[in-house]
Amino acid sequence: MKSREQEYKEIFIAEALEYFDALNRHLSNLEKTPEDDQILAEIFRLLHNLKANAKAIGYLQISDLSHKLETAFELVRKHELAFRNEVATVLFDGVDLLGELISNVDDPDFKISDENLIRNLEAIVSPGLGTSVPEVTKVAKFNDRNISLSDLVYIQIKKLDHLLNLVGELIIDRDRIISLSKDLNSDELKVVSSHLYRITEEIQFSVMDARLVNVGSLFNKFPRIVRDIAQAEQKEIQLEIIGQDIQIDRNILQIITDSLLHLVRNAISHGIEKGAERLKKNKSLQGTLTLSAQSDRDNVLIRLADDGKGIDLPAVKKAIVARKFLPKDAVEDLRETEVLSYLFEPGFSMAKEITEFSGRGVGLDVVKNAIDSIGGRIQVQSAKDKGTTFTLHLPTSIAVKGALLFEVEGGYYAILLMHTDSVVSLDKDELHEVGDVLVANVKEESIPIIYLRDFLNNNTDKMPPGSKYRLNGSVQNIIIVTYNNRRLGLIVDKLYRQQDIVIKALNKPVDNIDIYGGVTLLGTGKVCLVLDVPAITRYFAIKK
Amino acid sequence: MQPDEISEKREINRESSVHLIVFKLGSEEYGIRIEQVKEVTLTPEIARMPKTPPFIKGIANIRGDIIAVMDLEERFKIAPIAPEVENSGKRNTYTLVLEAKDYTIGLMVREVPQSLTLPISRIEKTPSFIQDLNINDNYIEGIGKLGSRLIIVLDFHKILSFEEVEQLKA
Repeated sequence: MKSREQEYKEIFIAEALEYFDALNRHLSNLEKTPEDDQILAEIFRLLHNLKANAKAIGYLQISDLSHKLETAFELVRKHELAFRNEVATVLFDGVDLLGELISNVDDPDFKISDENLIRNLEAIVSPGLGTSVPEVTKVAKFNDRNISLSDLVYIQIKKLDHLLNLVGELIIDRDRIISLSKDLNSDELKVVSSHLYRITEEIQFSVMDARLVNVGSLFNKFPRIVRDIAQAEQKEIQLEIIGQDIQIDRNILQIITDSLLHLVRNAISHGIEKGAERLKKNKSLQGTLTLSAQSDRDNVLIRLADDGKGIDLPAVKKAIVARKFLPKDAVEDLRETEVLSYLFEPGFSMAKEITEFSGRGVGLDVVKNAIDSIGGRIQVQSAKDKGTTFTLHLPTSIAVKGALLFEVEGGYYAILLMHTDSVVSLDKDELHEVGDVLVANVKEESIPIIYLRDFLNNNTDKMPPGSKYRLNGSVQNIIIVTYNNRRLGLIVDKLYRQQDIVIKALNKPVDNIDIYGGVTLLGTGKVCLVLDVPAITRYFAIKK
Repeated sequence: MQPDEISEKREINRESSVHLIVFKLGSEEYGIRIEQVKEVTLTPEIARMPKTPPFIKGIANIRGDIIAVMDLEERFKIAPIAPEVENSGKRNTYTLVLEAKDYTIGLMVREVPQSLTLPISRIEKTPSFIQDLNINDNYIEGIGKLGSRLIIVLDFHKILSFEEVEQLKA
C-alpha cells in the first residue's frame, strides 16, 4: 500500500495533466476566435484551480507559473493585451512549460530549460506598455512533444456499486461451488475451487479498496461549517480534527454526512454554552468540539465530543414519562445508559420537554436510522457540565458483513456480528420467569431472554410470554445481542459458525416485515434470513 | 417450457387472442395472461418466512433472485382436492414466476401448467353475479370457455391488493 502522500501526489499530477490538456485545447480554440469570452473564462478557471492545487501540495514553481499565466490572461480578458502574434507565442510557450513542470514534478534535478520564457511572460504583463507589443526574446524549443496519457481514471460511484454487487453474487456462487466440491469429493474440483476462493477474495478486496476514501474528505468540510454555526450562535468554538487518514467506504461516508452535520449542529447550538456561562462554570471561554476517527478491527469509530453542559438526565426521564414510554417508578430505576437510549426512540425526539431544557434529541431517531441502515451502531455518553460524546461504530465496507449463523425450527437465520455481544450456553435452571418475561443473569446483569421459536411463530402483536415449559432440552444456546445500550438474549435451536455474508434486500411484497434486515444465500444454496436486531429489540421494548 | 418459446408465441398471438398459462387450483382451471408470467420452473426449496400470512409459503432462490412464493389455494381458501395416492410420497410442484408492476412473486401449483390460446371473444367478462358477491376485489378478469372446459382468468395484479401488500407488515 502506498503512503497517503504518494497517493495525493499521483492524484495531483493526473489532475494537473488533465488541466494541461484542457488548456492546450482552449488555447488552440482561442487562437481561432480570440474574442471568445467563454474560452477565456474557462482558461482562467483552469489556471486558477491549478494554482490553488499546486500551492496546497507545495509545488511552488507550478503555482508561480500558473499565477503569471493567469495575470496575462487577465489582461487579455480586459482587452489590454491582444491574443495574437508574439503574445500568443509566449502564452503557448508558457503553457508548454507548465506541462513540462507537471511531468517532471518528481525530478529534483529538473531545471527550466530557458529562463527567457519567464522573462517574456513578465514582459508582456508589465504595465505601461499599452497595446504595443513588448520585446520578446526568442526561446529555445524544449518540447519535443511526447504524448502521454493520464495514470488515473475517474469512475462514477454507480459503476463501483454495480461492480460490488457483482462481487457479492460471485462470492455466493463461489461458496456454493466450494461446498459442492466437498460433497462430490473431487480433488480436481477442490483445487480449482480453492483457487477460485483466493481470486474472488482478492477481487473483493480490490473492489472494496477502490471504494475507500479518507474520512478527511468529509471532516475537512467541518471547519467552515462549525465556524458559520458558531458565529450564528455567537459562541466561540475550537474544532479539533483527528484521524483524517482513516479510510472508509465512500457510500458509508455519504450516508452519515447528514447525521454528522446534525450532531455537530446540535452540539454547537445546544451542547456548548455561551462564553459567559462557561466562565461561570470555570471552563475556558472557548468551547471545544472534537471530531475524530479511528480504526477498530473491521470497523471505523467516528466520535464527536463536545465539552458543553451535557445531557440533562432528569429532563430526559421526565420526557420518558410524559411520552408514556415507561411509568414514573420504572424510569427511576433505569441506568444512565438506558435513559440516554430513549433519545433515539422514534417520536421521542419531538418531546417538547427535551428541546426546552437541553435541546438535545431533535431528530436523533433519524440519525440512528441512517446508521442502522448501513449496519452501524451509535452510542452516547454524557456527563453533566463535562460534555457529550457520540460514537458511531461504522463498518468499513458495505459489501460483506460478519454474521453469526444459526437455526430455528429447521430454518437458517443470521445476525450481524456488529449487533452480537456474546454467545452463552445456559442451563434451563439458570433462566427465570419474572412476570411473563424470561430473565437470565449474564455477567452480573439481568438480561431479558426471548425464545426465538416462540417469537417467530407468534403472529399477534404481543410478545409471547416467556415460559420455560416450552423450551427443548436442558442446555439453551443464547445469543446476547446489543443495540442502543440494551441487551437481549435470543434462544436459538442450533448455533452454527461465524461467516462473512453478502446481504441482499428482500423484494416486494415481503420487503417491509420489520424483523428481517435482508436475506443471504449460503454456500449450500439455502436461503438464510437475516434478522434485524434493532427491530427485534424494539419489539421487545415496546411490546413487553 | 423455455422462456424464448413463450416470447415467440407472445408475438404471434398478440392481436386477436389471449395467450394464457393454465393451471389447476382445487378442481377448477385457472389462467393467467402469459405477459404476466416470467417463467415456469420446478419449485425450488422454499425457506419458511415466519411472521407472514399463511398463504406466503416462504422465500425461494430462483436463479439468484430471492422471491416470495404464494399458495393461491390457501389465498382463495380453496380446498385442495384429495391428493391422489402415488408411489412417491412427495410430488413435484411447479412455480410460476409472475411479474407485477413493482414486484415479482412465485405462484405454487400442483400440476404442470399448460399454455393455451383463446380468442378474445371466448372470454366472458366477469359475470355480474361474481361482481355482486364482491369476492376479493374482482381479481377474476373473466371466464374463458374452450369446448367443455371452463377457465377462470385471473388478473394477477389484483390478487394481492395494495392493502394486502401493506398488511404483510408484521
